Amino acid sequence: MASESIALRVHKSPLHVVYECVATADHKKIGLMYIVYALLFLVVMGIEAILMRIQLSHANATFLSPEVFNRLFTLHGTTGVFFVAMPILFGFGNYLVPLMIGARDMAFPRLNAFSFWMTAFGGFFLYASFFAGGGLSQAGSAPDVGWFAYAPLTSPTFSPGHSTDYWTLSLLLAGVGSIGAAVNFIATILCMRCPGMTLSRMPLLAWMNLVMGGLILVTISPLTAAQLMLMADRYIGGHFFDTAAGGSVVMWMHFFWIFGHPEVYVLIIPCFGFVSEIVPVFSRKAMFGYPAMVAASVSIGFVSLGVWAHHMFTVGMPSYGNAFFVLTTMVVAVPTGIKIFNWLATIWGGKIRFATPMLFCIGFLFQFLIAGLTGIMLATAPFDWQLSASYFVVAHFHYVIVGGILFTIFAGFYYWYPKITGRMLNETLGKWHFWIFLIGFHLTFDFMHIPGLLGMPRRVYTYEAGRGWETWNMISSIGAIFQAAGILIFVYNMIVSYFHGALAGNDPWDAWTLEWATTSPPPDYNFAGVPAVRSRRPLWDIKHPDDPDWKYE
Amino acid sequence: MSSGHPSSPAASPIPAHVSLPAPSVWPGLLALGLTLAAAGLVGSRVLSIVGAVLCVVGGIGWFLQVLPHDRHEDVSVDAKPVTIAVSHRKVSRMAAAQAPHRARLPLEIYPISAGIKGGLAGSVAMAVSAILYGVISHGSVWYPINLLGAVVYAQTEVSTAQISAFHIELLLVATVLHLTTSILVGLLYGAILPMLPRRPILVGGVFAPLVWTGLLYSVLDLIDPLLNQRIDWLWFLVSQVAFGVVAGLVVVRQVRVPTWQFPLAARAGIESPGMMHEVGEQNPPR
Repeated sequence: MASESIALRVHKSPLHVVYECVATADHKKIGLMYIVYALLFLVVMGIEAILMRIQLSHANATFLSPEVFNRLFTLHGTTGVFFVAMPILFGFGNYLVPLMIGARDMAFPRLNAFSFWMTAFGGFFLYASFFAGGGLSQAGSAPDVGWFAYAPLTSPTFSPGHSTDYWTLSLLLAGVGSIGAAVNFIATILCMRCPGMTLSRMPLLAWMNLVMGGLILVTISPLTAAQLMLMADRYIGGHFFDTAAGGSVVMWMHFFWIFGHPEVYVLIIPCFGFVSEIVPVFSRKAMFGYPAMVAASVSIGFVSLGVWAHHMFTVGMPSYGNAFFVLTTMVVAVPTGIKIFNWLATIWGGKIRFATPMLFCIGFLFQFLIAGLTGIMLATAPFDWQLSASYFVVAHFHYVIVGGILFTIFAGFYYWYPKITGRMLNETLGKWHFWIFLIGFHLTFDFMHIPGLLGMPRRVYTYEAGRGWETWNMISSIGAIFQAAGILIFVYNMIVSYFHGALAGNDPWDAWTLEWATTSPPPDYNFAGVPAVRSRRPLWDIKHPDDPDWKYE
Repeated sequence: MSSGHPSSPAASPIPAHVSLPAPSVWPGLLALGLTLAAAGLVGSRVLSIVGAVLCVVGGIGWFLQVLPHDRHEDVSVDAKPVTIAVSHRKVSRMAAAQAPHRARLPLEIYPISAGIKGGLAGSVAMAVSAILYGVISHGSVWYPINLLGAVVYAQTEVSTAQISAFHIELLLVATVLHLTTSILVGLLYGAILPMLPRRPILVGGVFAPLVWTGLLYSVLDLIDPLLNQRIDWLWFLVSQVAFGVVAGLVVVRQVRVPTWQFPLAARAGIESPGMMHEVGEQNPPR
């Protein structure tokens, strides 16, 4: 593979690089900017998490004040969802989708750039709250209302100054970027596929980005509407969420969670795409049940729009409301189960290569299953009444976000880094990263379920000794250190491999989708000639002319 | 595969230049303007004014770049095409009895009618055992029928005498429920039994009813405690096994039909690569 050609790196002046970043409309450069931006914020939110874990590692700790703790968990959650997970997935989608469908760029290149900058400025705006100084209450400037910002905490009475305004405005700005990105993904995937690439031959990652785009269009809108109503309450005396004046705090919950729960699927569905691309290549088998995978993903997208109030069982909804949301939430398990079985069936009987991308995917399969099972437990209203707003819930959703989403993102990095840079990530360091991060993850989040079951509420800045929570919290905090060490290895690996990694060649994994049919890194135009495909695995067809897929699909 | 190089996915001739969207600072400037306009709400109004100006400048710049025609730049194409080597490794194929290469398994399935017949036969067996239970334990054929109807049609606690009496509405509900469920489970049997390589009757007729009964036994007290009090679980298991064995026996006696080896889209002629277009034939232009 190393004998294959790779594109030469041209040394450019820093000013030229800055201009290229600011002015580029190339989907690959924009994708990389999304990814780098998200990685920076990943480090920031990781530091916030470490600080919180130090504070919670033992009882009656005074490492952080309650005010700072509130700001940290607010920014940790908001950053993680809006400025790490979404941008990094937009980045991978931007980079990969046009390559995978044989297009030269996204459908709207300049809208693509605009979307990135809106997202980027939204994140910087949020963190500017730390330094903005004037107009703030004595409590400080960073938002401290939690990532779902329940009313009336966000009212001027309980949140004086501008901290909540920073939160609201940053999400509004990022929301515009997200909608732009979603429009671009949908238009690109529906309108710019190369000849022969029908929807039923499209790579599953492209399918997943199509579903993600649809979900974003539907769900960011109510969030944006809610933010505008909140601004009206805070700036011009509106009473949308002011119960005393006829408003409703529960209305905020509905508006937020009709965005908030599908948002989980906005994040996990592209990750399903990563797994569906990586697992077949490292099992040396075609994806098992491709049509079922597509149908299940689309079903998950639809069903996820009808489950939001399972976050609100403790609010006091009517029994019919509870029953409806219990049932719809449990229904999600059906297509999700189909997907898990199909991944397992793809691995089953395959010639498995336990390279780092595959290791992270296997970790995902196990952990996402556990996350789904605790999700089913929490979807049962009486169970949720006991454990809502406890550390059990925190452990559950971190199992989804870290054990599910972050693991697959790491898998994606190890899989596509050679395509993006032309060099391989170091496999030994990758395996160290995997095992240390895996140990850290399970130390933190397996044991975090237990204080939740023992009654430890989320968002407490400290707790009294003697409640049986100390040991579990200490283990969780130690796990966070392991995770940080794993991340450091990953960052070190990426930097060192960029300069000294083994040459990757065009197709280091002997893969089957179109992105591996061009150079590593790809040229500006992606493909010299427009590709044509006749099956879901176009490169397999070329590599195996005696046994092409198109005869059987 | 292609009109160009035999080991390249390219469908079109390789051009000397490719037109790509020209770089543009205007989208970034517009985004900055919107951000500053928002920043004015938490800071100085000057920020909003500057932001508004940048929005106008950015918007006009963007419009001028795409109207009346999108501005492009030509990028030279590397003369050296990317080629993909034909793999010298052969695919090892699993040996399956009488199975063609890449077969859709199972090779034979039962027709839908087999599942319906099995379901109806099983429903009779289950009804007989359930009525036997009613007569032996409560001296009434209506007892199990009313219990089944009560799954969807019961509001309050009732006496044993009431359950043992005849109720037309419960009879209708129970009949519809029993027949519908029996046919659906029969269809499921028809689909699953060909996939059970050994002892399908044992697995489908005994093991599956055991699992189903165990599952219901563990959760019915939570779902419907009143109904749970009235269930005799031994008889319940017997009636489930009666259904499973009879339905399974009827299904396996039906004649199997070959499985379609091409997907529905191909059979319908909607999409049939390799069938409608032969090797080397050009893909139709989109």
